[in-house]
Amino acid sequence: MSVSHAEAAQTERRLEVAHVSKTFGPARVLRDIGLHIEPGELHGLVGQNGCGKSTLVKILTGIYTPDPGGAIAVDGRPLSLPVRPLDARAAGLSVVHQNLGLVDDRTVWENVRLGRFRAAGRFSRRIDGRAEREAVEAVFDRLGARVDVNERVGELSAEDRAAVAIARAMQDHQPGGGLIIFDESTRAMGKEARGRFFGLVRSVIDGGASVLMISHQLEEVVEVTDRVTVLRDGQVVETGIPTKEIDEAGLTRLMLGRHLVTHDRVDSHARDEPAAQVRNLAVRSVRGLDIDMKKGEIVGLTGLVGSGAVAVAEAIGGARQARAGELTVNGRKLSLKPRRDSTSEFIAAGIAFVAERRLEQGLAAELSVSQNLTLPRVRARGSRMRIGGGWQAEETAAMIKKLDIKPPDPDKAVGTMSGGNQQKVLLGKWLAGKPDLLVLHEPTQAVDVGARHDIIEAIREAARDGCGVLISSVDAADLAVLCDRVLVFRDGAVVAELTGELTQDDIIHATFASPDSRGPDFERTVR
Amino acid sequence: MDTVRHEAHDVAVATPGGKNTRRRPAPLTQVPSRYAVLVVWAAMVAVYCLTESSLFPHTGTFQTIFGSQQPLVFMTMALMCTIVVGEFVDLSVPAVFGFGATILPVLVVNHGWNVWPAAIVAFAACIAVGALNGFLVVKLGVNTIVVTLGMSTLLEGISLWMSDLNTISGLPSGFQKLALFDIGGLPISFYYGVILVLGFGYLLAFTPLGRHMRFVGASREVSRLSGVRVDRIRFGSFVFAGLLSGLGSIIAVAAIGGYNATTSDSYLLPVFAAVFLSTAIFEPGRFNPLGTLVGIYFLETGILGLQLLGLQSWVSQVFYGGILVIAVTISTLLHRRTS
Repeated sequence: MSVSHAEAAQTERRLEVAHVSKTFGPARVLRDIGLHIEPGELHGLVGQNGCGKSTLVKILTGIYTPDPGGAIAVDGRPLSLPVRPLDARAAGLSVVHQNLGLVDDRTVWENVRLGRFRAAGRFSRRIDGRAEREAVEAVFDRLGARVDVNERVGELSAEDRAAVAIARAMQDHQPGGGLIIFDESTRAMGKEARGRFFGLVRSVIDGGASVLMISHQLEEVVEVTDRVTVLRDGQVVETGIPTKEIDEAGLTRLMLGRHLVTHDRVDSHARDEPAAQVRNLAVRSVRGLDIDMKKGEIVGLTGLVGSGAVAVAEAIGGARQARAGELTVNGRKLSLKPRRDSTSEFIAAGIAFVAERRLEQGLAAELSVSQNLTLPRVRARGSRMRIGGGWQAEETAAMIKKLDIKPPDPDKAVGTMSGGNQQKVLLGKWLAGKPDLLVLHEPTQAVDVGARHDIIEAIREAARDGCGVLISSVDAADLAVLCDRVLVFRDGAVVAELTGELTQDDIIHATFASPDSRGPDFERTVR
Repeated sequence: MDTVRHEAHDVAVATPGGKNTRRRPAPLTQVPSRYAVLVVWAAMVAVYCLTESSLFPHTGTFQTIFGSQQPLVFMTMALMCTIVVGEFVDLSVPAVFGFGATILPVLVVNHGWNVWPAAIVAFAACIAVGALNGFLVVKLGVNTIVVTLGMSTLLEGISLWMSDLNTISGLPSGFQKLALFDIGGLPISFYYGVILVLGFGYLLAFTPLGRHMRFVGASREVSRLSGVRVDRIRFGSFVFAGLLSGLGSIIAVAAIGGYNATTSDSYLLPVFAAVFLSTAIFEPGRFNPLGTLVGIYFLETGILGLQLLGLQSWVSQVFYGGILVIAVTISTLLHRRTS
């Protein structure tokens, strides 16, 4: 914009939020929020699910109108409220969402320029592809990333996709200005991709822009950000804490408002009875895989994207068709090969699959907690003419209590609950069937510390009751805390089997063992 | 670990504060939205009674409204079958209905069949068309709009050819009893419709099959991974839609005593209007049979009243179209505000 703007950017705070509140009906979701971000700062924003982080982002991007009395200023200039998208863009304020918001079957340059296409000439309405491409290449140059602008986004690696999202967010920034909000953008990335991602974020910061990073990964926040703000119940608990002066435990304490919950390993519940045998499984790049699981044993599957760990879990859970393979649970043999209309045979055999994408594969958002929770059993437990209300109410109440589902309302539509509570409903849906083999895919993904605790406890309890548990996850912390045994996959083969006292370090080391996979230096894995 | 659990519980109890109240819709905002159409209906009746005191408040009016809409009841329930499982645009329902309603009198009047075997053939033909729709959409994965639009046009063409563009009438008078037998001033077919709607409502609300149908409509992948036989349920819905259209066509033919194949077209908008209107009645934002039934009679009341006022037949189109857009818009807005 103008020269004065650029000058202001040198002296003023990049973002200043003061006295912002938001009320929905009778409830105040945000109370008197105040925080500021300096130019060139990487600022973290943390808090439990439902603490108001998303609401704040939605106010900053103009989706919600804040209550009167608040103020938001960028580089010293107040924005009119509600924030208008074009004002936000002009001020250099942009957001990278959880799923990056990319259109897979369009090219890189189309994705970056989406919403900004300019016509070729005064009378021509045609998009000037060449000019657009050049503009996009210039953005990537500034970012220091090399991405082919003509490639389809769906064919890119995770880190290149992130680069595209960042390029889109920063393209309107003035030199030395701009603010990008990352709303849990690293959620879907593996450790390695994360390393490169933060490399890019660094280069954005070095260019003078500021970043507000929202994340559930406290470890990441402590390592990467300069200062951090903690929200709890819609209020700022503390803002601008230099991350040099705080650790994960301190942050957790602030987020929860109580002393830290530690997850110690507990003794294995594995008994010497077989729970499940997988024989000769071939799926994706995996072939000829055998796995033997004992009752009460918790087995982890991990590996980088494409290693086959996920496909194995999905095949065993019945969600993916394998090329070959046989699964025995409870003396019942199931072929993993045939194409199936549904997973009913798996469920009948006592297998439960907790899918990763909870709102696409796990739960129907528009239907209630109770309806979702009882779905796999309505045929078996009801008569043909009547499902019966008694057992449904009982089962739902039991799971709400066991998993501490909030709010404890069986008739609430699942889609209106927070992510952590949705995950609990999904887990409860399968635990209520008392499975003999529980297959979980990223069971604690994008849930807060409190929910993670409840979920881990519930998984342990299932194992205690004799259920065999199979967890596919890239979260080394979860695997280290929960598993008796971890199988590490690379290129379709098990390259390591870790047993005994597991540590995150060992798991990460085994996953990333190849020499050229070390990320930038601030990806110091785990202390 | 035990102590930790307790702490977790304490905090969770302490934290929600206002959140509970925010998430649970207040009963006061829910009540008017789901019963709004009933209130409008009552107001409409009151206005007609006042403005047309000589014409409207008669048992004849009542009988016309509740005694004449059976074809619509059956067709809306047929459409509901596929809508509930997530197929929003079965455009072939009126044509399947017309197909059955043409076969029956053509076989009886033009070919001298006995009425019962002819009814069975018409019924079976409708089921077969439903199965064909289901096969194309579910098994082969062809787009629903394309299949049903094509099927609709095809069947209407065949019906016109069979009937030679004429109204076919002259069914045996005993057959009329099937639809017009008088119970408490209303034809028995009115009660068929009510029973059908209540049965469908019960199916959706209380049976495993109905629950599975709702989930298939909400998310196929979630249903598949929960052991629901998704394709079987979708296919079955198309077959059942054909079955209901066939049943409706037989009852309609019995009531009218014949059929004119050119009239099938005119049912398309009313069928969709009533079914979509149900998302504004009883269960906001959700298609439901009872709401559809109310919607049908609500729309008919409005139209009949206007026609008694002396307005021409174009009124029904204006009314169906206008009410549909207005009601569903209001329902969508209310639903958005409360969720």
